[in-house]
Amino acid sequence: MISDLAVPNLFVAQAGQLVLPVVLPLLAAFLMQPLARVSTALARGLGPLVLILCAWITAQLWIQLGDAPFTLAIGGFAPPLGILFYADGIALLFALAVPVFALLFWPGSESGGGAGADSRPGSDQADRDQAARRDALVLLLVAATTGLALSGDLFNLYVFYELAAVASFGLVALSGTGRAQVATFRYLMISAFGSVLALAGIAILYMQTGTLNLGQLAQLAPETLNNPIGSAAFALMLIGFGVKAELFPVNTWVPEVYAGAPARVSALLAGLVSKLAVLVIVRLLVLIFPQPEAAQMLLVLGVLGVLTGEFAAWRAKDFPRMLAFSSIGQLGIVFVAFSIGGEIGLLAGLAVALHHLIVKSALFGLAVRWNGSLEALAGAARTSPLGAALFVLFALSLVGVPPLPGFWAKLTVIVGLAERGTPLDITALMSILLVTAVEASYLFRVAIRLYQDNPDPVARHARRDLGVSALLGAVLVAATLGLRPVADVLGAGAAQLGDRAGYIETVFPSHVAGKD
Amino acid sequence: MIELILMPLAAFVIGLAMVLMMRRIGARLQRRVGPPLLQPLWDIIKLHGKETQTSHGLIHELGIVMAIGGFVAAVTLMPLPGMNGLAEQGGLIALVYMMMIPSLGLALGVGQCANPNGSIGISRALTAMLAYDIPMVIVVFGVAFFYGSTSLVQIIDAQQAGGFATWGIAEMPLLAFAGLFAMQAMLGKQPFEIYVAPAEIATGPMVEMGGKFLGGLFIMQCFQLYAAGALYTLLFLGGGENWLTFLIKVFAVVAIPMSIAFLFPRYRTEDVVRLVWKWPAMIGLLGIAFLMY
Amino acid sequence: MTSLDHLVLVSALTLALMLLFGRMRIAGRLAVVLYAVQFLLLMQTGALLGEPVASSLTLSVLDLQMHWRYDALSWFFAMITIGAGFFCAWYAAGVWQERYREEGHSPRLFHVALAANVLTMLILLGSGDLLSLFIGWELVSWASFLLMAVGGGPAGRAALRYLVYAFSGGMAILAGLMLIYTQTGSLDYARVLSLLGELSDGQVWLLLLLIGGGFAVKMGLLPFHLWQAAAYAETPGPGSSFLGAISARMGLYALIMLLVAMLGIGRLTAMEVPFTFLSARDLIAWIAALTVIIPTYIALQQHDARYLLAWHGIGQGGYMLLGLMVGNAVGSAGGLFHVFTYGITQAALLMAVFAVVHRTGTADLNKLGGLVARMPLTFLVLLFGIISLAGLPPMAGFVSKWMVYRSLVAEGMPLLFVAAVVGTLGTILSVYKLIHNIFLGQLRIEHEQVREAPLSMLLPMLGLSTLIFLVGVTPGPALSWVAAVQASLGLPPVPYTLGGIEDPRGGLDMLWLVGILMAGFGVGALIFFGLGGRSKRVHQLDNYAGGHFLTADVRYQYSDNFYAGLMHLIGPWYRGAFLWLEKALTATVAFLSAVMNGFYRYAQPALFVLATAVALLALTTA
Repeated sequence: MISDLAVPNLFVAQAGQLVLPVVLPLLAAFLMQPLARVSTALARGLGPLVLILCAWITAQLWIQLGDAPFTLAIGGFAPPLGILFYADGIALLFALAVPVFALLFWPGSESGGGAGADSRPGSDQADRDQAARRDALVLLLVAATTGLALSGDLFNLYVFYELAAVASFGLVALSGTGRAQVATFRYLMISAFGSVLALAGIAILYMQTGTLNLGQLAQLAPETLNNPIGSAAFALMLIGFGVKAELFPVNTWVPEVYAGAPARVSALLAGLVSKLAVLVIVRLLVLIFPQPEAAQMLLVLGVLGVLTGEFAAWRAKDFPRMLAFSSIGQLGIVFVAFSIGGEIGLLAGLAVALHHLIVKSALFGLAVRWNGSLEALAGAARTSPLGAALFVLFALSLVGVPPLPGFWAKLTVIVGLAERGTPLDITALMSILLVTAVEASYLFRVAIRLYQDNPDPVARHARRDLGVSALLGAVLVAATLGLRPVADVLGAGAAQLGDRAGYIETVFPSHVAGKD
Repeated sequence: MIELILMPLAAFVIGLAMVLMMRRIGARLQRRVGPPLLQPLWDIIKLHGKETQTSHGLIHELGIVMAIGGFVAAVTLMPLPGMNGLAEQGGLIALVYMMMIPSLGLALGVGQCANPNGSIGISRALTAMLAYDIPMVIVVFGVAFFYGSTSLVQIIDAQQAGGFATWGIAEMPLLAFAGLFAMQAMLGKQPFEIYVAPAEIATGPMVEMGGKFLGGLFIMQCFQLYAAGALYTLLFLGGGENWLTFLIKVFAVVAIPMSIAFLFPRYRTEDVVRLVWKWPAMIGLLGIAFLMY
Repeated sequence: MTSLDHLVLVSALTLALMLLFGRMRIAGRLAVVLYAVQFLLLMQTGALLGEPVASSLTLSVLDLQMHWRYDALSWFFAMITIGAGFFCAWYAAGVWQERYREEGHSPRLFHVALAANVLTMLILLGSGDLLSLFIGWELVSWASFLLMAVGGGPAGRAALRYLVYAFSGGMAILAGLMLIYTQTGSLDYARVLSLLGELSDGQVWLLLLLIGGGFAVKMGLLPFHLWQAAAYAETPGPGSSFLGAISARMGLYALIMLLVAMLGIGRLTAMEVPFTFLSARDLIAWIAALTVIIPTYIALQQHDARYLLAWHGIGQGGYMLLGLMVGNAVGSAGGLFHVFTYGITQAALLMAVFAVVHRTGTADLNKLGGLVARMPLTFLVLLFGIISLAGLPPMAGFVSKWMVYRSLVAEGMPLLFVAAVVGTLGTILSVYKLIHNIFLGQLRIEHEQVREAPLSMLLPMLGLSTLIFLVGVTPGPALSWVAAVQASLGLPPVPYTLGGIEDPRGGLDMLWLVGILMAGFGVGALIFFGLGGRSKRVHQLDNYAGGHFLTADVRYQYSDNFYAGLMHLIGPWYRGAFLWLEKALTATVAFLSAVMNGFYRYAQPALFVLATAVALLALTTA
């Protein structure tokens, strides 16, 4: 009897913890500067500590609450009035991935970690301030992206999105080189334009429906938004949120920024932030805009992204830029996959997105040392055999070689496209297959170069970067071996993600109950 | 089994006679008397009996063995009057390829001599083979297709069934002409004799061949003349109803290239290829086209 | 656990052991033993004559079932694969491996690559549906890439070129499979087979283009042949032998699955090529014939022994497809049998060439000569090999080629017949050049001290040579396998005897032919050695030089531009049209890439955002 009573209590307490992964990093970010003046060591330790805590909380929530989606009304105001966090399997997965990846690519320890003594003399005040600022920015980014994963209303999404943008501007410009600043400026320009458009789209939505709660929007969408005005709103928001998601053509900032920013920041932006932006677009698509025009827009822009990205990568001269173009191409495939819709489309999109999250982050991890031109990489396998082997593994998975996960992800996309089979889908299918050949060509040109003879190869990897990449490589191999459970989890996630009625029901349980 | 011994023996004797005939014809055309009856045999015995026998190594010797042995084997695939030999086991295609073995043997032997002039000769000989074998196989295909068999026994039976009217030359005149043309080149007679280069021995395959090496090649030539004549007879002239007609046909066939050879100058290697690929090959294909449609 | 599971597990175990112990000296011998075990296990499956053997492993992804099974066709190709692996590992196991290590390469990597190739091929050959076929195909492609790339240097470049071809081909296959999937809703053989008949001719053409084209890449069929020679030739010795012997034949296996097992020759014959009087079958046969001719005559121009043989490998593939496209009992048997005879031939030939490279350090045909005096056994192996490759009696290659010719005569295909013979004649010319420039002619000064190839390399070579000869004399047992394969494919089985083919309209009996040839050689030897005076061996420079003096320090070997007269005529016909095509394609990709780069570099960000917004809005409101 006691346990029966205790369960709901526990439930409330647990669900309430959902705000912590957003709030804790935010708090830590604001505390960072003052703390740094008190104790450098404490400030340095604060970030990772908070991240571990966030990851632990999210993992606990996921394990204990199981698969059923749930909501959390912040401040106790019931939706649609109050602001709302919505957590289903996918949201929790991303909310977990955010602190974990931020931890893996924590920029702070580049000076203190295994990188060696080259950046050691950073103990004076200015450098300490810089480190604290950087840590604060990463924490800010973590808070914002976690918020993107969990937010249940459009206004909050917009706020978190802007927050993530600000944090990433700061991180990109951090290195202070001219190149980085030019890139940041360009990034800023596009982001600003994008934000204006997204805001305009949100305004249209509000005008049409009078609410910004996703659940309520989903309820109202069939009557109010299934028209050209709704499509226009989606187009505006697609462009706006597409900036971070590397959507063609608002992705022109990508190569310069990734080439100029520190590689770990690029790893976070390319791997993590882009996926969260994609998640926002997918939520909009699934919940509010089920009309075919919306999916078609996504498909066309996705195909253009695939084509431009992969072809551009073929001529890329340096390693990070090549990864950046490849990232554009991969996200194009993600968009194409999500545009298919239905459970298979969502499954395909999730699979490609998660695969890209792992692989591209790991590749940018390798780019910490291999940040120069591709020519300079000749013979790198001699100094860094594990790094080269990992590159080959990731490249194999990226181009989709069975039985690695990348193959199954791509196969799902292709089967999905083939099943729907409109001319546009077949074009997309052919484009993906075509650029995959191009992709294999440029990735393995690099792989061969890594194994060339060269008396003067580049420096070896820091142990930490290599460790992170190796860890992600191990995850990839594990996913290959445990393909079935992974596919099951993703399938369940996709089903949940695509369950529009379920979303509404979770947000407004009374609504359904009232009907009954 | 006796057949298998008799057939090469007969081929050799006929071949010797053909060499004699060739020399006689040449002599007559040049208003000479020509050699006596047994001169070819004496030549062989003389060459074998020479005191200086210069060998350039084992392959040099084995090359000659292959050259003779290949023909000894090949002639057993060609039915004679009353003797089928191995014609049932081999057939036309096997025969054509069997007749390439001696060329390969000769080429290996010459190659071992380490004389660049010999190698040049072989390069020309093989090029010539590439030239004349193409009309040759067109002819072979045509005949085999027309009679629906690659068995020489059946081909001969079909030809002999209706007298001259069913002979290959009557049924397939174009192919017969192409075959004759190809045979001229196959035997290395003018105007296609550059690869043998008999007049300027220093740049031909024979450059290092003396004594019994040359004697072996002499034997090979006897077989070669016989084989060419017999093959043509089998394909187009109805084979031999009896020994008399067979011999007449075979000698007549071989006499033609010898007689007209002296009318011609000599072509360069590439001109041989060009000429043989153009005329006999085209005529042969035309002949096949007539057969098929 | 079925017997097929055992086979694949042992193959995987081989790979694992090579990964673990490949560094050790014993690894080579261990590999030989393991390949032998695999061979025995394959024999035990009994897939050749009995029922197909299924694997107990099945997978299902996206509602697509995948399973694996071995039938007679799989057995036949697997037998050659494991056999090639066995002989190549044997060749590598001793001195070669040590030399390879001394040269700074990794024997472990080599052994791993070889084991991976065998394993992936076994997986491909077992594919029981189209998805597992594709997966096996990709695995084989990447395993070959590994084996090609282990050499480094020029091998890396060649491997990359291969990769682009193979991967593009793989993507084309995937597109074709999706076409099948959309039309039939399944990738299962049986189901696809039952529904394939309903496809329109246009769809089947598309299938042929996509899937057939993709498979053709691996086989090096025209116009996808450019990658193969360099990729195979630059691979380290035994690896090159292995690739040459069997790797490209995986393409043939897959093509047989597509053309013979799935579509069927009848369907191909019924499909007309628009605006011509050719059927699809004629078209494929002509592609095969051109694949015989063009690469063979490119081989004639090579002056590197490895490249010469590799180009011939492409050409010989054409005979196999040609025989299969003729489609009657003898022709399809000839095509299949040629896979086996050519496999053992090419393996022996490349081993001999690499044995020469091992001793002299070069495969350049202009830098060798006269080695028969120093390496007589290697010469013998090469001699057996070239006779078989050229398709002359009494070697194995003659039998299979004879069957192809015989079927072309029987079916009345004169032009294809002539094309096949033109290819054979070109082969004879170029293999003579090969053996002449390496073993005959003048021995170079720097090769005076060269010794015979080491025993560990010689034994597998001699073993293969014996096999070439034995199969040539008694093709019957091997033909019984071929007949079983034909039966499993639904083709009429070839009427074989111990010595060859039985055919009332002209058969072949190699027992008699070889017997008479040996007797002929005996007679020749009797005449030559028995009669006449004793011959005297002289020094190679004791030559008739027509007034010139040959001195000991200036050697003169006629090797470069060996067929000068012929090249004078046909030289201008080498246009490099396919190379041009390849360059044009690369240039197109480079151009597109430059355009895309330009977009990302010079784009006016704000302008693009606005333009896209306007465009999308216009689109949605329109």
